[in-house]
Amino acid sequence: MSKNYSGIREQRRDTDTYTDWGGGSLEAGEKYPKNCLGRADRIFSQGLQCQQINSVMALLSVDDAAFVVHSPLGCAGCCSMANDWFRVGQLHRGNYGLRNARIIVTNLDEKDVILGGEEKLKKAVRTACERYAPKLIFIFTSCASAIIGDDIEAAVSELQRETDSVIVPLHCEGFKSKICASGYDAAFLAMTKYILRGAKRGETEPDLLNLFAPPTVSYHDRLEIERILGDIGIRVNYIPFYSSLEKIRKIPSARASTAICKVFADEFMKELKDEYGISYSHTIMPIGTRNTDKWLLGVAALFDKTEEARGYIAAEREKIRPLMDGLRERLSGKRVFITGGTGRSFAAAALIDDFGMRLVGMQTPVYDDDAQIDIEYLNALYGNFVVDVANMMPFEQVNLLSKLKPDVFIGIPVWAAKLGIPTTHVLDIKRPTMGYRNLVYLGNKIACQTENPGYNKKIAEYARLPYKKSWYEENAFKYIQK
Amino acid sequence: MSNILENPHGNCALGGANAAFTAVKRVIPIFHSGPGCCMQTTAGETSQGSIRLPYYVQYTSIPCTNMTERDVVLGGVGKLDKHVAAALEILDADALFILTGCTAGIIGDDTESVAKKYRAMGHKVYAVNSAGFLGESCRGYEIAIKAFLDNIVEPNPKKRDERLVNLLGIMPFHDPYWEGNLEEITRLLRLLGLKVNTFFSHDQGLKEIKSSSSASLNIILSPWLLKSASEEYQRRFGIPSLRFAGAPLGATDTGVFLRRVGEFFGIGDRAERVIRSEEKYLYRYLETGIGLQNWRRFSVVGESQNVVAITRFLANDYSFTPDAAVITDVVFRPDDRARIEESLRSLEYAKPPEIFFTGDQWEINRIIEKFPETMLLIGSTNEHEIAIKLGLQFFIASYPNTERLIYNRPCAGYRGALTFFEDIYSNL
Repeated sequence: MSKNYSGIREQRRDTDTYTDWGGGSLEAGEKYPKNCLGRADRIFSQGLQCQQINSVMALLSVDDAAFVVHSPLGCAGCCSMANDWFRVGQLHRGNYGLRNARIIVTNLDEKDVILGGEEKLKKAVRTACERYAPKLIFIFTSCASAIIGDDIEAAVSELQRETDSVIVPLHCEGFKSKICASGYDAAFLAMTKYILRGAKRGETEPDLLNLFAPPTVSYHDRLEIERILGDIGIRVNYIPFYSSLEKIRKIPSARASTAICKVFADEFMKELKDEYGISYSHTIMPIGTRNTDKWLLGVAALFDKTEEARGYIAAEREKIRPLMDGLRERLSGKRVFITGGTGRSFAAAALIDDFGMRLVGMQTPVYDDDAQIDIEYLNALYGNFVVDVANMMPFEQVNLLSKLKPDVFIGIPVWAAKLGIPTTHVLDIKRPTMGYRNLVYLGNKIACQTENPGYNKKIAEYARLPYKKSWYEENAFKYIQK
Repeated sequence: MSNILENPHGNCALGGANAAFTAVKRVIPIFHSGPGCCMQTTAGETSQGSIRLPYYVQYTSIPCTNMTERDVVLGGVGKLDKHVAAALEILDADALFILTGCTAGIIGDDTESVAKKYRAMGHKVYAVNSAGFLGESCRGYEIAIKAFLDNIVEPNPKKRDERLVNLLGIMPFHDPYWEGNLEEITRLLRLLGLKVNTFFSHDQGLKEIKSSSSASLNIILSPWLLKSASEEYQRRFGIPSLRFAGAPLGATDTGVFLRRVGEFFGIGDRAERVIRSEEKYLYRYLETGIGLQNWRRFSVVGESQNVVAITRFLANDYSFTPDAAVITDVVFRPDDRARIEESLRSLEYAKPPEIFFTGDQWEINRIIEKFPETMLLIGSTNEHEIAIKLGLQFFIASYPNTERLIYNRPCAGYRGALTFFEDIYSNL
């Protein structure tokens, strides 16, 4: 990817990318292949997530690393949130020391914005070296550092001569992309350029899989994924989630690669294929039986274990069947609206079929070739449903929800709950969702929250959404302008 | 010049401003900023004090122009104009405040021209320069109060309200106990027969901000925040300020607080009656807890107002022994530092703590290590690591907090003293 990919997902050459669209799923599925979806932009929007947030989140759990955020203090806000995930992740792993991620912010101020912030950047990196002598120092740029034109590369080459720590700058300034997953690509581009640096393939470890995962995977999910792969004789090299410089350097010696999330490391895996001949599987997030089957078979094929995996899948499905039957009875026929990141939203949309639920609408941040594959599958499953290509856009969400009146809302509950709709979450960073065993936990959670909606129903009597009554009568996609 | 900081104890000016605006009833900020600022400031500021979120807009529901490269090059005023027009159609708000992020701030977009256009059409739309690089959370809070003074506060109040006070200096959402503290101090001031404008707690909004110019007194519960605002209230409206170095916590400091306010209003006797009755309530509980909590040497890390309040409370009212007082907010002015130091040194019986000014985590951890006899550490989530490493009893009372959900629990007054005692109780 590094040769011809900028790291900005809107600029990928092998697929179209839409971030602002709304309509029916049948219409989307029909128009996208004909290039008829239409370029558009929102003339009213709510906050997106910037790519720097994803860059930080992707890397913050890497061991023996320090993180320099070259920005005013605000752009380290997500570090504080990611630090919470990191600390809770340590607790779940039985590490009760609760180490903070070592984050040093250059704290750009008015003077720096005028005179440049390179000296502060150098000071921050040197401080990180003095204090922690980390093996890795990641530098995250920001809108401010980019607009004032700080020469990051020059600073890095100067600093790299002074230290053994590997310095890895990420160009992840927020204004460059409307798609936060670009920040993941920025992380992998930097990893390629500054850590792998054309390292040789080395001796292949025939049972080793590079498993690329964002930090939004809970420890329970990690255990379940490792269990499933371990059972068919595949070892996992987790990157960059709780990984290390050594593990990153091991990437070229793996036999194959895959990712937990469809928008994570997808471009990087292409690069690994080109550079090292490491084949990869790019399927879907392993939540729900169909998705987990598909994901596992994708991996198994790379290890010549397809037959073994088929047998394994049948056995696993059989084990959870009685519990799944019970869940299906409780959830069958419920109408669902889903919102989430690109990987989660489509995976969740397929997952609910396990429980006999029906999709009536979904929000997803990006529509591209990958989305088209999923939409075609979902259209065959559910027929027409509403598609809102949006990174949440809560104003559109509540408008759609008030019209569609789903039985269940899956996603971040803050706004749907205020309408009194039962809500549940599949992006649970701290709890189980993936694989076979965890599906039962997830199903139970959905069923219990649907059957017992008291909290949302009661809070809806008092809770306030910031929209005029008239907005709910309008076309939800009114502000998407071609 | 600002310093580089490890694991900072503050967010940017935009974060502080946003926390303040979103805490005012039916007020909505519109970010004219890059695409991450709504998330960053909510994740890093509003949700890191008490963990809960503003009720009206938060995270990705804050309206935002999501400026991209094109806007950086060509300017984003046109985009902002469209967003404001649409916001007026969609949003149910008493006022819209356009907040600039770094991107708009650096390229110099004229947001005021957009605000002016809509004000001329009769809408309450205001522009605020709040670019993150202007400073830290505290600066953002001051920017918000200044924006109120410029745009909302009644410029020509008809007559003075002899019983009205403005209660300022507690940063909404940033201070983990902000709302509980506003409630407790308001409760006490009402017992004195006063009316209280807090601007930020539940039922307060533009009406209270507007009427603040007819108040008789500003009470500022911070050693240094709002210096210019208090001067402006004095200059424009003749309203004096009583400044306290923190929200008073426990019988000693709350008594002093109520006496000074009582004295100002010439209702000293009433203040004494309130103090007597509140102390009776407090000590009726405390006497059932004698000997339950062993003596501790303690250190406090946090923002100046919290460190002052907690250190004085534990030393004066609970006979604990202070070791270190670490102030994490950036206090530039020497007289402000002197005020903080004076508050921490003027303890009744206890030997004062050593006082440090730093918001850098590495330095803070080294300071804590210098006091091997400290047994109790009160700080933010950031200090949890060093507390575990040194085997200290630990309790969170400062930003950033990602561990304790706090609704209306106060860390002020008499009720706050009781909950604080409950929180630091340990049978270990």
